[in-house]
Amino acid sequence: MKRYSAILLLLLMTTLGWMGCKKDDAPIDEDGLLITTRAECYVSNFELLGSDFQTVRTRNAVIDTVACTINVTVFFGTDLKNLFPQFTLVTDAKLDPKITGFTDFSDLANPRSYTVIAGNRQVRKTYKVIVAVQPR
Amino acid sequence: MNTKYLGYTLWFFSLCLSMVACKDDKYTVPQPKNQLQNDCIKRTLGPNVAGLKIEFAYAMALPAARGKIVSAQVEASIPGDAATYLENKSYYTNGSGEDVGIPIGDPSVNEGAVTKVTFTKDTNAVTLRYYYVIPPTAKGKEVKFTFSAKSSNGETVSYVMGPYTISNMDMVLDLPVKNGDACYISIADMAVYNAADAAANAAKIDLVYLYRAISDVSFNHALVSPAADTTYLPGVVLPTGVNRDTKIRKTWNLRDRHLARLQYGIYIDDLDFQQLDMKGSPDYAINLKSEAGAWVETADGKYRAYIYMNKVDDAKKSATISMKRYTLK
Repeated sequence: MKRYSAILLLLLMTTLGWMGCKKDDAPIDEDGLLITTRAECYVSNFELLGSDFQTVRTRNAVIDTVACTINVTVFFGTDLKNLFPQFTLVTDAKLDPKITGFTDFSDLANPRSYTVIAGNRQVRKTYKVIVAVQPR
Repeated sequence: MNTKYLGYTLWFFSLCLSMVACKDDKYTVPQPKNQLQNDCIKRTLGPNVAGLKIEFAYAMALPAARGKIVSAQVEASIPGDAATYLENKSYYTNGSGEDVGIPIGDPSVNEGAVTKVTFTKDTNAVTLRYYYVIPPTAKGKEVKFTFSAKSSNGETVSYVMGPYTISNMDMVLDLPVKNGDACYISIADMAVYNAADAAANAAKIDLVYLYRAISDVSFNHALVSPAADTTYLPGVVLPTGVNRDTKIRKTWNLRDRHLARLQYGIYIDDLDFQQLDMKGSPDYAINLKSEAGAWVETADGKYRAYIYMNKVDDAKKSATISMKRYTLK
């Protein structure tokens, strides 16, 4: 009888141990973000802040999700070298390159590009941020 | 049988536990020490800037049977400015919330680093305020205070406060600037000049204040470096020799308590200036509103400053600015 209990206990512990070691199989990407099934890939809102963290847009940015462009007009006198862009993306998507701080947008002839990567990490769309300064 | 005993033991044990848990600690009225005692707190917050006060509240008391307090004094390690004083009144708050002062002695006397009040009333317990006006000579040094009280039976007590570091910053408040008139700002002199004086001090002019109401453009109140693009100096004729290129960065929501004197508990300290990175900053700041500010670094890299807009007046094309400045070299 005692022997049977010991065997039973051992079996139980083995099962528990096996369960404990079972790996979570949900896929994550190199940033530790969950890879989902969503294939949507677009920018839904765009904001541009100045060095004082106040908006520098004269009106809402125009986002063309087909042409993949973001047109934004900023106030006269905006310091284009120190702008803080903020992207709002569709659920589960991420941005490349990441926004790490103030960014230089002063080269108006060569607009900066940002790539949106869908939740399934299969679809990538590169958006151009075209900045124009309000004329005087 | 065993199970029964085990049950009893458990019951007994839990009963003991519950008794211990319910036991009340008896309160005893603390016995006052039969001697002269004192205590002190510092009441001011933020960096200690030359010209400002550091306020302390010094409390002293002794039992009536041991006599009365005859004097109180404070010794600062660096003598304070002439305006330094120790209150000769003890305050209480009345029903309307007003502080009412009861004089307990003669007004304080400053003798070098010592500020002293001699008591003239029978006093057993009192709290006196001490206001140390920071002298410019203390900048960058540490200052320490020794509070002491003496009773009629010869007993003395003392309490040491500090050391406190005195900031290296300079500060100037409420400079009026006016478009086309007193509009040339010198960080080195911490002053505002008109065109004639600016020409005489051309090498010290760092910024020009101007107001422009341009349709469709938010220009309004601006601080522009003399060397900035003329687009940002519309209609401005600079006095001869005024040509420095000052870096300036607009800021919002930084209402320094010393400069703004508003309810916000934010202080700019030496460290902020030391860590400030003005690389890549422009040489103009336009559309500055009331309660906005700007970080500034002079062209020669000698000074960093923070200019705060206390108020702006569109109709009069004028503003009131306050400034904190830190010397780098």
